[in-house]
Amino acid sequence: MKTTRLRRQAGTLALVATALLSAQAMAAEQGPSLLQNKCMGCHIPEGNDSYSRISHQRKTPEGWLMSIARMQVMHGLSISDDDRRTLVKYLADKQGLAPSETDGVRYAMERRLNTVEHFDDPLSQMCGRCHSGARVALQRRPAKEWEHLVNFHLGQWPSLEYQAQARDRDWLDIALKQMVPDLAKRFPLDNPAWAEWLKARPESKVLAGQWAFSGHMLAKGDVRGVMTVSAEQGDTFKVEVKGAYADGTPFNGSGSAILYNGYEWRGNVKVGEANLRQVFAAIDGQMKGRMFEAEHDERGLDFSAAKAGQGRLLAVQPAFIKTGSDSEITLVGSDLFGKPDLGAGVQVTEVLESTPTLIRVKARAAKDAAAGPREVAVGALKGVQLAVYDKVDEVKVVPAFSIARIGENGASVPKVQGRFEAEAWGKDASGQPLRIGYLPATWKVEPFNERAVEDEDVRFAGQMQADGVFVPGGAGPNPERKMMTNNAGNLKVIATLADGGQQGEGHMIVTVQRWNNPPLP
Amino acid sequence: MKPGFCAQLALTVAATACACAAQADDAGKALKAGHEYLIATNYPNNLHVVEVASDTLYKTCRMPDSFGPGTAMMAPDNRTAYVLNNHFADIYGIDLDSCKTTFHANLSSVPGEVGKAMYSFAISPDGKEVYATVNPSQRLNDHYVVKPPRLEVFRTGDGLDAKPVRSFPMPRQVYLMRAADDGSLYVAGPDIYKLDVNTGKYTVALPLRSWNRPGYSAPDVLYFWPHQSSLHEFSMLYTIAKFKDAKQDPATAEPLYGYLSIDLKTGKAHTQEFAELTELYFTGLRSPKDPNQMYGVLNRLARYDIAQKKLVKAANLDHTYYCVTFDKAGDKLYLGGTFNDLAVFDPNTLEKVGNIKLPGGDMSTTTPQVFVR
Repeated sequence: MKTTRLRRQAGTLALVATALLSAQAMAAEQGPSLLQNKCMGCHIPEGNDSYSRISHQRKTPEGWLMSIARMQVMHGLSISDDDRRTLVKYLADKQGLAPSETDGVRYAMERRLNTVEHFDDPLSQMCGRCHSGARVALQRRPAKEWEHLVNFHLGQWPSLEYQAQARDRDWLDIALKQMVPDLAKRFPLDNPAWAEWLKARPESKVLAGQWAFSGHMLAKGDVRGVMTVSAEQGDTFKVEVKGAYADGTPFNGSGSAILYNGYEWRGNVKVGEANLRQVFAAIDGQMKGRMFEAEHDERGLDFSAAKAGQGRLLAVQPAFIKTGSDSEITLVGSDLFGKPDLGAGVQVTEVLESTPTLIRVKARAAKDAAAGPREVAVGALKGVQLAVYDKVDEVKVVPAFSIARIGENGASVPKVQGRFEAEAWGKDASGQPLRIGYLPATWKVEPFNERAVEDEDVRFAGQMQADGVFVPGGAGPNPERKMMTNNAGNLKVIATLADGGQQGEGHMIVTVQRWNNPPLP
Repeated sequence: MKPGFCAQLALTVAATACACAAQADDAGKALKAGHEYLIATNYPNNLHVVEVASDTLYKTCRMPDSFGPGTAMMAPDNRTAYVLNNHFADIYGIDLDSCKTTFHANLSSVPGEVGKAMYSFAISPDGKEVYATVNPSQRLNDHYVVKPPRLEVFRTGDGLDAKPVRSFPMPRQVYLMRAADDGSLYVAGPDIYKLDVNTGKYTVALPLRSWNRPGYSAPDVLYFWPHQSSLHEFSMLYTIAKFKDAKQDPATAEPLYGYLSIDLKTGKAHTQEFAELTELYFTGLRSPKDPNQMYGVLNRLARYDIAQKKLVKAANLDHTYYCVTFDKAGDKLYLGGTFNDLAVFDPNTLEKVGNIKLPGGDMSTTTPQVFVR
């Protein structure tokens, strides 16, 4: 029940109903009184709207939400959803992170749960063995607060120091004497980047306007269109998206969004039947991040957008062309004018459509065009590349390593699907590896090892669909399986290119439900 | 939050009321002197007594408060079961004849602290004292402070509101404990310590983290089943890596299974590797009949010849079991843990000879214990 609640709370971050707009608008005014009324019972006032613990940390909106939710779940805080939203907004604005402080770890907010983290051993073993390292890296505290965090962890979960990567060492001693100073140094409360960001932080209303966007959803394809943003009260927005996938599927919808800390954009947009969340960093006329389904965050698209008036080339779709072939190519960006230049050996034979946000052309790559990347230009706008290739040398399954999860079948948690594409690689004229892009493929799964053969993982773990979407099996013990075990499995994901037949291989673990699923993994 | 809290409170009140009522009704028949029994706990609050001769459920006592871990050990009187329960926070003594709770120690005896024992409790050989290593954390208004662990000594005669009569500082990361016949307490932690329960002084009885065995890694022990087998030993499994050469490369090292044992009569400690680590066992126990035979269980029941370091036989299981228990003579082998059934095996043939369904739910990490009333 608690888990479900936290999941719901994640949703409320982005949910901004019209009725609540005034509450958001008044976050700055109401924040101090909410802190006093809701938090002062336990947190000691330190004067000047400061409180023990609370005022000595900075974190993301999700981080603040998790802290407040924990106070509700574990410490008896009673707070309405409205007030919690107001408080998250107030704290995320007042004590957030500078954009540079989130570099490299935004995947946690963006719910990219197939990310394989690469933190150093001390942090991975101390923190990353239970939750993402990113959850730590997205916080800023002084040593005393990191110390409180260590004490909280061991006090709340006393089995911590008995687990693997803990029971072989003086866990608490290492946590307090090595990790605390290290974390205080790496993720300090006081950081010039934050002070500078506070000075430079733009008004939210600069985001109002038209945005050209481009994206890609695995197992679905490229998408592009225009997002219209209109500013409402209190850093909130109305959002409308109008666009289409490359295969013609419409991508139209509307919703709302809120901006935290001058750049953390969180939206909720209904596209067709799906409720999509937006987690973007909105900086300098660009938005970058991920849009994903609220109930199926594995179904998401990489998203980038450029505001009208900024003049920016966002994407070329598809970003490859084969020598000696004709292809339809779409350029996405803002303020696009004129005939695009696709580089040496690639000729635009016909302009099929041209608007300020999209240019669609027919292109031909000469038979003798040298394989390699081409800088694409529209007028003075540059920044994207088109890969000219002659043949495919290698296929990589993306993601190379992934987790799918059994679900449903009477259980409360939905299945987490696997979604795959075949990434083709060739060589440029000088023999260097050249990323071509995603090419059509047929899909299958095979047992990853002998154990998987013996346990018939392929039979039980789920079904690979023709489109590269893997649908896992139902949750719960399976009486048909050896030892009544559940439908977990260890599988190879094999892509065979439709054109050429080259194969690539990925690795997918089909595992049990994620019961504890907070906003930051 | 408050409505939820109130509901929980109401539930607790209701459950308590039920437990009291149930206790009067469900005291059940007393155990018969000279008969052999097995106890096992499971959700939601059951303490089952199985008659070993017939492999049938003899009676079920209801335990107070919440389940977890439900680790039980028999007192030397062979009628009182001491159970660590209520989320590792309380120890109860339950008289199996009457199902009455005769002893209760809340491990959070210091105001402002929450104390938990990580499977860490033991009974003195005369049954007069219960020991617990408590890991306390102080809950202040806006932060926690982890406090050093301490051994708390309770007098079993103090009844339902037992308070520690002695207390001594302990190392961190302490788990299972067993009292030896001479009254000393053997404590599993980073090493195995021998502790004087009157002075709190302890020495290393068996080095683990500090073993420093040439050519081997330090052993790894993850074990929370305090078997009271008729071999009268404090025993646990460990894994260890035998390095190929002086480079001590874990990638090429040979992982081995071993067991460690402290004879509770003599205090003699020994360790012995008996197998290559090819599959995991949550528990492993030597047969009382032939201590050279080791039985390990998790996804299979495996039998090893210790001297020959050889897998003799392995049996497939209907589902995962965590814990091996022998009857007193070593003629029958019980598997418990996870679901709510005890599987009975012939230790010689590894044939399954019976299955005892227990009312209630998951046995979790319970340690079935066998004793003669």
